Amino acid sequence: MVLRRQSLPWMCLPVWLALAGAVQAQTPPAPAAPDGAVERGRYVFQAAGCLGCHTDEKGGGAPLAGGRALVTPFGTFHTPNITPDPTHGIGRWSEEAFIRAFRQGEGADGKSLFPAFPYPSYTRIRDDDLRDLRAYLMAQPPVATPNRPHDLTPPFGWRFLLPVWQALYLEPGPLADDPARPPDWNRGRYLVEALGHCGECHTPRDWLGGPDTGRAYAGTAAGPDGDKVPNITPAKKGIGGWSESDIALFLEMGMLPDGDFAGGAMAEVIRNSTSRLTADDRRAIVVYLKSLPPMD
Amino acid sequence: MSISARFRRAVPTLVLASVVASLATAIPPAAAATPTPQEQVEAREKLMKTMGGGMKALTQFLKGEAGGPAEVKKAASDIAGVAAHDPMGVFPKGTALGVGDSAAKPALWDNWPKATGLWGDLKTASATLVQAADRGDKAAVAAATQAVGKVCQSCHEEFRQKKD
Ligand code: HEC
Ligand code: HEC
Ligand code: HEC
Repeated sequence: MVLRRQSLPWMCLPVWLALAGAVQAQTPPAPAAPDGAVERGRYVFQAAGCLGCHTDEKGGGAPLAGGRALVTPFGTFHTPNITPDPTHGIGRWSEEAFIRAFRQGEGADGKSLFPAFPYPSYTRIRDDDLRDLRAYLMAQPPVATPNRPHDLTPPFGWRFLLPVWQALYLEPGPLADDPARPPDWNRGRYLVEALGHCGECHTPRDWLGGPDTGRAYAGTAAGPDGDKVPNITPAKKGIGGWSESDIALFLEMGMLPDGDFAGGAMAEVIRNSTSRLTADDRRAIVVYLKSLPPMD
Repeated sequence: MSISARFRRAVPTLVLASVVASLATAIPPAAAATPTPQEQVEAREKLMKTMGGGMKALTQFLKGEAGGPAEVKKAASDIAGVAAHDPMGVFPKGTALGVGDSAAKPALWDNWPKATGLWGDLKTASATLVQAADRGDKAAVAAATQAVGKVCQSCHEEFRQKKD
């Protein structure tokens, strides 16, 4: 039987390698050419999961033209257009303004941005990645869809209060590598804490919407769209029982160790983001998650 | 089936569709006539678990952790066997969140064409998986496992609520 004859070498392959071919066909790996800013930016864009929030997929909106409603305990946000359209998008934003939005949570008009745009995580992205990201966005087709105002409950809708929030919770600045740790751990931390902004959902929030850093990655019952978000620390109540390949496979195709499949917000994260990473990057995430302090 | 096939020639499709739809809500299909909504939820969760077991066996085999060709074939036919069910039987009306421990979002019924479309995708993808397993084609089984998994995930993304 053919399967029997061929199964041996196949069985030695880690599954992420066996399955990687299909993913690679859709998503070319980011080339490292110095002038490949757009291609590198595409990879940053995917690792940071920008598409889902800024696209009204259900309403048939154009990619990145905004308009998706994000329902939160503080009200409903309508995401803005981030295509290069000069009037309705970010076509007129300078590179400095673009970087300030991520680093300081500051809009082009100098007003503070709501942290529903996860800049408390994105502030840790490095300058070179932000420049590549902008190059990628500017290479996308402009769409003239106007922005919709948010629909927020006072006092959370008061933009002028945001600097206070930022003073409490925002620690601006890129993440520096920890020289005491191996490169895959550092890469994993960067992917989890900065680009993948995993803590935005997996870390519980206090009553002001700031992260409860003492319970980092311990999960919360009040996630996006009312979803329960599980604990992803290596604890009994978390994913301590998952093997490294269980986690890597989950990030690649969404399967839990019992054969069930992730749903809700995480399915979208996997579809738009983690399934599109290189197998090495998924493994780096696993290394970092396994190193988190367990929270029970 | 044969009755509707005979009618199809005489009755315009739209009228037929609405007749079938109203019949389906008025008279539940024979198999579902007795069970309570709670039992229907349990039956669905059992079918889903069967598919979960199949996906687990397939990926364990792919990872080289367990199983051989026989397990791969069984897993593929288990999944295809569930996919062969009529989606109306798997997702009868009145079995959304709140009934038993159902984790099915009401959106599944509000967006029924999308849900049945995904069930159709599951049928197609699992048929390909069965063929790949029967041929013993390792690369094709890996690709088909991934394709089936995409369908599982798409439906759960939209229509399934996280429990506990
Ligand atoms: C969790 C959802 C979410 C994700 C993920 C997200 N954004 Fe946003 N973004 C928002 C929201 C909501 C706003 C509006 C904030 C406000 O009005 O203060 C916003 C604002 C912005 C702005 C400012 C636009 C303006 O007109 O003021 C830019 C630029 C932007 N996002 C780019 C990005 C990029 C690039 C990514 C990926 C790296 C990204 N966003 C990921 C939700 C998101
Ligand atoms: C937009 C919110 C969101 C973001 C961002 C997010 N997650 Fe999740 N995550 C969820 C939700 C919701 C679930 C539960 C999914 C389900 O099964 O329905 C989940 C489940 C998981 C699980 C499975 C845990 C279990 O016990 O079932 C892992 C592992 C995980 N996420 C890791 C990550 C990593 C790593 C990142 C960053 C790359 C990330 N998540 C980013 C919302 C999010
Ligand atoms: C058309 C939609 C749809 C498709 C396709 C689908 N599922 Fe589900 N699945 C659901 C819904 C809805 C639930 C929640 C059922 C409930 O709790 O009543 C669920 C629940 C589950 C559960 C948990 C059952 C329990 O014990 O509570 C597992 C495991 C599962 N699915 C596996 C799979 C696998 C594996 C596939 C693909 C081979 C798949 N599902 C395809 C909709 C779908």
